[in-house]
Amino acid sequence: MTALDLSTLDLDAVVRKEQKAARPKVLTLGVAVVLAIAWMTPFYYLVVSVFKSNTEYGQGHPLALPQSLEPILVNVYEAWTKTRMADGMFNSALYGLFGAGIAMFIAALAAYGLTRIDFRGKTFWFMLIFAGTIFPLQMYLIPLFLGYTRLGLMNTRIGMILFYIAICIPFPVLVLRNYMAGIPREMDEAARIDGSSEFRIFRSIVLPNCWGPMTALFLIQFTWVWNDLLFSMVLTSKEDVRSLMNGLMVLQGSYAASTPNVVMTATLLASLPTVVLFFVLRKHFMNGLRLQGM
Amino acid sequence: MATDTAETMLPAGIPSIDTMVAREKRHARKRFWTALAFMSPALFFVGVFLLLPVAFNIYASFTGWQKFSGLDRMVGLANYQRLFSNPNFETATSNTILWVVASFFLPAMLGLGLALLVKGLKGEETFKSVYFLPRMFSATAIGVLWYYVYAGEGIFNTALRSVGLGDYARNWLYEASYATPAMIFTHLWQQVGLTMVLLLLGLNALPTDPLEAAKVDGASRWQVFRHIVLPLLAPTIMVVVTVSVLAGFTSFDLVWVMGRDYPNRSTLTLAVNQYWESFRAGYWAYGAAIAVILGIIALSISWVLGWLQQRLDRR
Repeated sequence: MTALDLSTLDLDAVVRKEQKAARPKVLTLGVAVVLAIAWMTPFYYLVVSVFKSNTEYGQGHPLALPQSLEPILVNVYEAWTKTRMADGMFNSALYGLFGAGIAMFIAALAAYGLTRIDFRGKTFWFMLIFAGTIFPLQMYLIPLFLGYTRLGLMNTRIGMILFYIAICIPFPVLVLRNYMAGIPREMDEAARIDGSSEFRIFRSIVLPNCWGPMTALFLIQFTWVWNDLLFSMVLTSKEDVRSLMNGLMVLQGSYAASTPNVVMTATLLASLPTVVLFFVLRKHFMNGLRLQGM
Repeated sequence: MATDTAETMLPAGIPSIDTMVAREKRHARKRFWTALAFMSPALFFVGVFLLLPVAFNIYASFTGWQKFSGLDRMVGLANYQRLFSNPNFETATSNTILWVVASFFLPAMLGLGLALLVKGLKGEETFKSVYFLPRMFSATAIGVLWYYVYAGEGIFNTALRSVGLGDYARNWLYEASYATPAMIFTHLWQQVGLTMVLLLLGLNALPTDPLEAAKVDGASRWQVFRHIVLPLLAPTIMVVVTVSVLAGFTSFDLVWVMGRDYPNRSTLTLAVNQYWESFRAGYWAYGAAIAVILGIIALSISWVLGWLQQRLDRR
C-alpha cells in the first residue's frame, strides 16, 4: 500500500469548494421555508376563521388573529347541528370501516388465489378484477342509480357499503398480488402435505405476512371513502344516510342559511379525523404511497 | 392394467402414463376451482357493481332514455350527435381539455421541483408533511375553503395587494377566463404533495453508481440531472403523469363545490355536465353518452401512456 501523499492536496481549494456547496443549501432551505409558509396559509386562514364571529370575520383582516376564542363555541354548535354532523360522522366512519375493511379481506383472498395456487389463465382473471380501475367513475353512476332504485338499495347504508367494497377491491388486488408473489412458498407446500386446507394456509401462513401492506392499503382506501362526495350524492338523498362530505356540500350550497365562518368550521371538523389519522399513522400512509408508486 | 408396449416395461406399483396424466388433469381442475373460489368474492363485487354498470352505461347511451321512459327504444348515435350541437358540451369539452393538458404537465413538473428542493434538506420529513397535508383533506373541503380564499376580499386578493399586485385582484371564480385556471391552481396545490412524495421515492431508489461516476468525471449538476437522473427516473415520472391525468380530468367534487350554479357556468367540465344532465335534468341517455366519451378519453390516455412506458422500458 502506498501512503497518501498530502503534499499534493490543496486544502484551501477543498475548503472553498465545501463552502460553495454549503451556500446553495442555505438558499434552498430559505426557498423551502417561504414556500411552506405560503402552502400553509389557507389552513392558517381556515383555523383563525373558525375562532371569529360573523361580524369579526366580515370586518377585520382575513388573516388577523381572533379577538377572543369564544365564537368557536357558537360556530361549532351551528356547524354541528346544521349539517347533522353526528349522523354524517357515523355514516362516513361506517362506510369507510366496512367498505375498505371488507374490501381488504376480499382483495387478499383474490390475491392468494392469483399467486399461491397454480392454474392456467391467471392473467385473464387478474385483468377481469383489475378492469375495475380503468374506467372513469362517471361510467358507474347512471346504472348504479337505476339498479339501486329497482333493488331498493337507494338511500340505504348497506347499499353504500356494498358499492364502496366493490370500488376498494381492484387496486389492493394489484398490490397484494405483487406482494404475495414475493413470499416464499415452501411453508405452503409443507402445510399442504400435512393436509391443511387452502383456507387454513391463507389464514395462518400468508395473511399474517401481509398485515403491513394491508394496513397501508386500508388507510388509503378508508381515506378515499371518507373523502368521497360523488357517490354519496348519487346514491343517497336523505340526511339520515348521507356521508359527511355530502352534508358539507349541502351546507355550503345553501347561501342564506350559513355564514362563511360556520361553513369553514364544518369544513375543519369534517377534515380533522383523516388529518389526525395521517399525523398519527404517518409511517403507514407513506408506506401506502410507496405501494401506489410501484 | 395397461398392456401397451411402453408401459409394460414399468415395474409394478408405478401407475401408467395415462393414469398420471388423468390424475394431473384432475388436480389441475381442482386447483382451478379452488383458486376461483378464492377469487369469487372479488369477481362478484367487481362484476356486479363495476363491470356490469359499465356495460349497461354503454347500452343506455344508444337508447332514447329520459325521465321515466325510453330505455327500451334504441336511437343509435342520436345522443352522440346531440352532444356536438350542445353549447354546454362545447364549454365542458374545452375546459376538460385544459384540465387534461394542465394535469399532464404540471403535477409531475412541480412535484419534481419540490422533490429536488427538499431532498436531503434539513427537516426533509417536515417539509414533506407540509406539502402533502392538503392531500389529506377531501376535494370537497378544499373546494369549500378555496371558494372563500378566492372571494373578492379573500386572502388570495389580500396577498396580491400586499405585494403590490393589487391591480390583478379580481373575483377569481366569477370571471370566465380565470375561473377554470383558478380551480386548476387549487387542484395543483392539493395534488403536488402526492406527486412530490412519489417522485422522492423514485429518486431515493435510483442507483448511486452512475451519479458518483458522473460527478467524478466533472459533470455539472444540470448535466447529471438531464442525462442521468431524468432518464433513470422516467418510469416513475410516467406513473405519476398517468395517475395525475386520470385524476385530473374526471375530478368532480372540486369543480362542483367551487362552481355552484351549474350548468350555466364557465367552469363546466364533462364530469360535471355528465352529472347535471342525468341527475338534475333527467336526460339519462345523454348523460350516459357523456360518460362513454369520458371513458374513451381515459382509455386512450392510459393506452398511449402505457405504450410510451413500454418503449421506455425497452430502451
